[in-house]
Amino acid sequence: MDPQPEPVYYICGDCGMEIPLKPNDVIQCRECGYRILYKKRTRRIVQYEAR
Amino acid sequence: MEGKSYQRLPRVKIREMRDDYMKFELRDTDASVANALRRVMIAEVPTVAIDLVEIEINSSVLNDEFIAHRLGLIPLTSDRAMSMRFSRDCDACDGDGQCEFCSVEFHLRAKCHSDQTLDVTSKDLLSSDHTVVPVDFSDSAGMESSEQKGIIIVKLRRGQELRLRAIARKGIGKDHAKWSPAATVTFMYEPDIRINEELMDMLTLDEKKAWVESSPTKVFDFDPKTEKVMVVDPEAYTYDDEVIKKAEAMGKPGLVDIIAKEDSFIFTVESTGAVKASQLLLNAIEILKQKLDAVRLSEDTVEADDQFGELGAHMRGG
Repeated sequence: MDPQPEPVYYICGDCGMEIPLKPNDVIQCRECGYRILYKKRTRRIVQYEAR
Repeated sequence: MEGKSYQRLPRVKIREMRDDYMKFELRDTDASVANALRRVMIAEVPTVAIDLVEIEINSSVLNDEFIAHRLGLIPLTSDRAMSMRFSRDCDACDGDGQCEFCSVEFHLRAKCHSDQTLDVTSKDLLSSDHTVVPVDFSDSAGMESSEQKGIIIVKLRRGQELRLRAIARKGIGKDHAKWSPAATVTFMYEPDIRINEELMDMLTLDEKKAWVESSPTKVFDFDPKTEKVMVVDPEAYTYDDEVIKKAEAMGKPGLVDIIAKEDSFIFTVESTGAVKASQLLLNAIEILKQKLDAVRLSEDTVEADDQFGELGAHMRGG
């Protein structure tokens, strides 16, 4: 039904590697096993009022 | 309703005038007019300032809203602002994007490739309109600094990048201080200082000197030849009452009489650079006149309120 969900890239809190994650994946770095991953900044343009 | 006319014919005498500074005398009018002029210069003379920021990439140490706020505060040359439209009542566009009547687009792209810190300044802001650009301070500051620098927005280290689009719009200081063209506008009442010579002659030389010294600012001076106390700079008087208290302490109340002339004002205007100080005054007078026209019209007709929507809103307490 749903097209293959695109993996979202996270950054490992320990080694800094980029890790692609899909739904139901274990939240863990594949290189060093660290379990804290950081979400990357959006690639979209963000808008602010200059006030 | 026939009534007495309160019309007066104020006079202006310019004492000093530079691009960003002006000092002038305003005479033959009241404090209400002087203060209206001061307030209009600060809060109602329009300028152009960045109002919307679209950030594409920001890997700097400052967060997006911090940078957006800093961009808003950069003064832009606004000589065209008086003839521009407020984007909220611009018919030619929806207020966003490029519209020659109400907005100006800016682009900023900066990336640090070296080990040296890269300063991203107002000079890196590229304008779509050559009449609206970040104010250049290099002339007024003198040539002491090795190269002319703009206003620093953010500093980048190796690998950090900033990429954004900004839209500048016309606005007034009442909406947000970033639109105020005035750094400071002040006026003081001109003092009228009269020394009671009869009482002054009763003082000894040392007493005269002590009295002259009691003023925190150099208003009076003692002439050793004539042994008289003279007023050298009445405008240096800050209405501090020190000389009056001193005279009383010396047992000579009424030695000096200082009154503030109620119809003479000395103005100092400092501009942010968005418009020249002299133009700021002219624009302020123009806006005051427009406001008075709105009052006169709304007295005659109710429909006039629609024609002068913006000013009508002002009058109703905007």
